[in-house]
Amino acid sequence: MELLKCEELRKVYGAGSNQVVAIDGIDLKVNRGEFVAIIGASGSGKSTLLHILGSVDKPTSGKVVIDGTDLSKLNQTQAAIFRRRKVGLVYQFYNLIPTLTVRKNILMPLALDKKKPNQEYFEKIVTSLGIADRLEALPNQLSGGQQQRVAIARSLIYRPALLLADEPTGNLDQKNSGEIIDMLKLSNRNLEQTILLITHDEKVALEAERIITIEDGRIISDERREVKSLSQNA
Amino acid sequence: MHDSDGGMWKDYLSGYIKNNRSSGLSVKLAAFISALLLSLLLGLFYNAWKYEVERIELEEGAWQGQIVGELALADIETIKNFANVKDVVISEKERGETTADIYFEDYEKVLSDMPRIAEQIGVSPEKVVINYPLLAMYLIRSEGDSAPRLLFPMFILITVLASFSLIVIIHNSFAVSMNARIHQFGIFSSVGATPKQIRTCLLQEAAALCTGPVLLGNLIGIAGSMGLTQLINMLGNDVSGRHKAVFGYHPLVLALTLFITMVTIWISAWLPAEKLSRLTPLEAIRNTGELQLKRRKNSYLLTLLFGVEGELAGNALKAQRKALRTASLSLIFSFMAYTIMQCFFATSEISTRETYFERYQDAWDIMVTVKDVQVDNFDKGKEIQSLAGVESAVVYQKAMAGRIISEKEISEEMKALGGFSHASEKYVTKVDDGWLVNAPIIILDDNSFSDYCEQIGITPRFDGAIVRNLIRDVTNPDFRHLKFMPYIKTCNAGEQDVSVLFKKDDQALPNTKEQSINEKVSARIPVLSYTQEVPVLREEYATLDYYELVHFIPVSLWKEIKEQIGGMEEDMYIRVLGEENVTLEELNALQDQISQIMGETYTLDVENRIQEYRDNKKQIQGMKMIFGGFCMLLAVIGIGNVFSNTLGFVQQRKREFARYMSVGLTPKGIRKMFCVEALAIALRPVLITLPLAVIIVGYMLKMSYLGVEEFMAEAPFAPIAVFMLSILGFIALAYYFAWRNVRRISLAQVLRDDTMM
Repeated sequence: MELLKCEELRKVYGAGSNQVVAIDGIDLKVNRGEFVAIIGASGSGKSTLLHILGSVDKPTSGKVVIDGTDLSKLNQTQAAIFRRRKVGLVYQFYNLIPTLTVRKNILMPLALDKKKPNQEYFEKIVTSLGIADRLEALPNQLSGGQQQRVAIARSLIYRPALLLADEPTGNLDQKNSGEIIDMLKLSNRNLEQTILLITHDEKVALEAERIITIEDGRIISDERREVKSLSQNA
Repeated sequence: MHDSDGGMWKDYLSGYIKNNRSSGLSVKLAAFISALLLSLLLGLFYNAWKYEVERIELEEGAWQGQIVGELALADIETIKNFANVKDVVISEKERGETTADIYFEDYEKVLSDMPRIAEQIGVSPEKVVINYPLLAMYLIRSEGDSAPRLLFPMFILITVLASFSLIVIIHNSFAVSMNARIHQFGIFSSVGATPKQIRTCLLQEAAALCTGPVLLGNLIGIAGSMGLTQLINMLGNDVSGRHKAVFGYHPLVLALTLFITMVTIWISAWLPAEKLSRLTPLEAIRNTGELQLKRRKNSYLLTLLFGVEGELAGNALKAQRKALRTASLSLIFSFMAYTIMQCFFATSEISTRETYFERYQDAWDIMVTVKDVQVDNFDKGKEIQSLAGVESAVVYQKAMAGRIISEKEISEEMKALGGFSHASEKYVTKVDDGWLVNAPIIILDDNSFSDYCEQIGITPRFDGAIVRNLIRDVTNPDFRHLKFMPYIKTCNAGEQDVSVLFKKDDQALPNTKEQSINEKVSARIPVLSYTQEVPVLREEYATLDYYELVHFIPVSLWKEIKEQIGGMEEDMYIRVLGEENVTLEELNALQDQISQIMGETYTLDVENRIQEYRDNKKQIQGMKMIFGGFCMLLAVIGIGNVFSNTLGFVQQRKREFARYMSVGLTPKGIRKMFCVEALAIALRPVLITLPLAVIIVGYMLKMSYLGVEEFMAEAPFAPIAVFMLSILGFIALAYYFAWRNVRRISLAQVLRDDTMM
């Protein structure tokens, strides 16, 4: 079942001679429950694509529909609410609020919606991410890997339709990188979470069941493949 | 708000406030100063309003409506029984008329009730008097009242202007504190916080930070307005006819002050909050909070003077230009206002002293103005002259007549400067026989006239006039260095020993001979002497009308000619000169004795030279204090802004510093950079003010004909230097605190940690 659909997506920065075309006519469809990796060199437009899909940026032209919502028609407030409920974002640099505890950071999207968490689901996420014993700590008391797990937990707490991860392992060592990818795969498999992972690391991309390659703002290849099981990764 | 949502924001805010006390401090300071200023202003306005109401009640009466006419007892009962009437006070007037002062419960209905009352008791509407000035103080206006009544609109205008200026000044403090966290709000936004939620959070933070300072500022503002009222009372103590202001405060004023303060602060916080909430999460999340230069700018002077640190400091100041705008503006204005104020008072003090106190130092000690008295009927002069401690006492009165000066009478010196060609038609009229000029008559008591005759070396006689034969060089406007010359020729004494004075006709049009004097009414009086020496009086002659020909005559002569000439002023003067080196206490004692001699028959206005000198000095000092206080408050806002900026910029600039350090800038180098920044901020107001002050002082000196040396000898260098050094000191302190914080930055941590803003 189709979750995401992009048609003729274009994003142009600047004007006149300073014009830079970051995305140049991308058409893309992603089904529910897919784990897609987008790879490309630095400056290929992959992060711009992720920002547009996460409704933190607007395309210059073209259409993006996620879970039945046309993102180009959302105003600032509607886009914020959409992000809160439908999209989970994980960044390379975690982006946690330093003055809030781990628990508060994770519950932030629910709190913004004035909702109480499903305690069972919350326990399940923090346990599976291995941060159940650090809930009252502040972000700067955690290691990089732990901070990224908190960011993933925060992105999953609302059970979003789509999880967008922008180089989630870019700032981590090999061991932590492997663990984070495993966790994403786990949530993909166990929670049927649709994941779009952006990376320039081919090894990380190989963990996904579909790999899209972008170059100069265009999709140059889109291949589906068999993936290794979690245990093989460990 | 739901628990979890409220809890998160609450946790976030309390965490932020706790961990960023320094940037919160500037917001608190801004709120405190706003509350203080607004509370002070509104407290003073309320007391000014209260004073005005009291003054109107004292001068006009406290009634709101009045009916004057023949009122029967039944009429008065009818008025008393009128629904809105609180009280009626009856007083008898002349010719059997009664005055009913009517006091109302509800002032708003006075204008509609008064005609009804008049109708009920059958009195014509013309007999109704409304106390418009009093009602206007309660914002009740009638079409029948055409007076402008600008007090209230002025209060409102000043309050709005003050509030607007505060918004312009303090919104920066909020902006600095908020902008330091753009990245964090980007994170909130990226996980779904709406612009409204972000705005609400920022405004809640502002409320949490400002509540305490606002209350404190209000309390101190009330105390300040109380202190200022006392100060105004002290300064105005000696002003005759002024009633004392009693400080008062009303809960409604407090409520209004709080409301205006809250609106001011709310707008100041809302402006940057709104801007921040409108940033897209991408813009916000990418924002590192670092100061950026939009265009390449060079600081040649700072580079030349301080090397690379100077250049870095110059760039940093330019990048912080927006954040430092408040500081820049308020410091420039405060220093400029303070300097110009000091120079103005110094010039005016020198001028007043030279033209008034020093010139008249030996001319008078006590001056008594006796209202509505004619000098020829006054008989207490000798008694005053014989008082112990009185060196001399002159009783005199002034009158105005006209005199015609013929062509051949004009002195050669005056002719050389163009005769009457420079004279204004307002004062001199061309007539057939010559020019009609004003001839002020100073009528001296006979004893004093006799003394004056001896002073100029003639035998005392009481049948003639002594004429002041002086005219200034009318082509030279410098009033401080006047040049005089003889007015009329005195060689043919035989022909000129008579002066013909004409009665000035008040009803006459000024420009023609026929209408400005009445030639039929004239007095021919012998001239005892033409002189350049005047009697010792506190009088100036020919100040406005340079062509006056002043006549001094004894009162005995005045008795004979007063019917022909008239034109006597209403007030009479007694100029008393005490003994040499008289003290204030002795003058006060003398003043009491004179008042006793005069008894209660006369209306007196008594001035005392030493007291007046002291009062003048006190008033100037008071004004300096009030103006200086405002300048200081303005400077406090500027210094507060510098503190808020320096205490907040450690977070904002730590990457900048880390980068400098990573390429080898030593801590000493950063300290030097800070010193240059502090110096540039503190010296900018001085550099801008000095040339301007020189121009303004130059203009003031030119206008008052004072020499540069005279001014330089008493120029207010010390207070200006103290003000400047205080500004420099506080800015240095702000940068010292910042320096202390910067020293704690861990280079490795900042360069590694790209996320924790």
